[in-house]
Amino acid sequence: MILLYPTIVLLICMGLYTVLTQTNMIKIIIGISIVESSIILLLGAMAYFPGAAAPVLDHPFELVADPLPQALGLTAIVINASTTAIMLALVIKLHNRYDTLNIHEIKKLRG
Amino acid sequence: MKNISFNKLFSFSLVSLLGVLLLISFYDISNLEVTLSLSEHYINYGVEETGAINLVTAILFDYRAFDTIGEATVIFTAASIVALILPQHEASMLKTEFTPIVHQSIAFILPFFWVISIFLIAYGHLSPGGGFSGGVIISAMSILIIFTYGFHYMTRRFNVTRLSLIEDFGALLFLSIGVFGLIYGGSFLANSQAGVYLGNPGELLSGGLMPLSNLAVGAKVGTGLSIIFISLTRED
Repeated sequence: MILLYPTIVLLICMGLYTVLTQTNMIKIIIGISIVESSIILLLGAMAYFPGAAAPVLDHPFELVADPLPQALGLTAIVINASTTAIMLALVIKLHNRYDTLNIHEIKKLRG
Repeated sequence: MKNISFNKLFSFSLVSLLGVLLLISFYDISNLEVTLSLSEHYINYGVEETGAINLVTAILFDYRAFDTIGEATVIFTAASIVALILPQHEASMLKTEFTPIVHQSIAFILPFFWVISIFLIAYGHLSPGGGFSGGVIISAMSILIIFTYGFHYMTRRFNVTRLSLIEDFGALLFLSIGVFGLIYGGSFLANSQAGVYLGNPGELLSGGLMPLSNLAVGAKVGTGLSIIFISLTRED
């Protein structure tokens, strides 16, 4: 539990570093996906506190995890999947046109 | 070459600075003493107000159903964009032929996938799951079919036009539930405020219109993600 937040920070930093330094577009998409997954992990960590049960109330309960961040996490997962699909489609389109995945070689992007 | 290493060093220092800032703010967040009155309301009164014992589903399909319709719209838009911008006759990537062992084991496993996806959608208000997770399992099924039996088998069995018809049906069902709430309850997508019979919490027919909205979202997500994958891999 004490290592949870540093892990999330590490994942965000790894993903951002990948986005900043890589030149392959597929690897950039992988970096963005790492950042998005760490945000979902953050939402799960905010919902949980020690000793809490899952928010399915089919038995008497004392402590229940917060259901609100979990519902937001579901939204985040769906948007993650959709944006990843659109990014991959754009990469397929760019590769068809320029025959490369390197962002430095795609120069006619302007206009 | 020197330029590239400078770039990496600069990115590394920038990212570490951001990491330190994030660590400080996360430390503050985890030590914050706040009263989560909204969450406490959901936990204490959610079951009797909505009739669903799964509180995440209660939030998604009753309290904040309007957010869920936006979420479903995101998938719809993504499927439309991917189907629009990808050409029909390029981007072929599935040339691998698998052994009969893979074919037989996938054929064995697919009925169980159907059962678990229908279970997750139908029992979404009673157990962990719901329309979104059930729909994702349906789309995983179509991905498995495409990878093992090839693209043409999938499109012969499940036509893309038919899949998008099912997606439209899900969207229309969800919208008509919303209009029903508007007419009877005074607000869009009203479920418990509309005076629907809620049933006993914990039974299959409980939660008012929640099973119907789960069905709508499940149909929409399953076919929408299938259409996205078919568009990403289609070949001529």
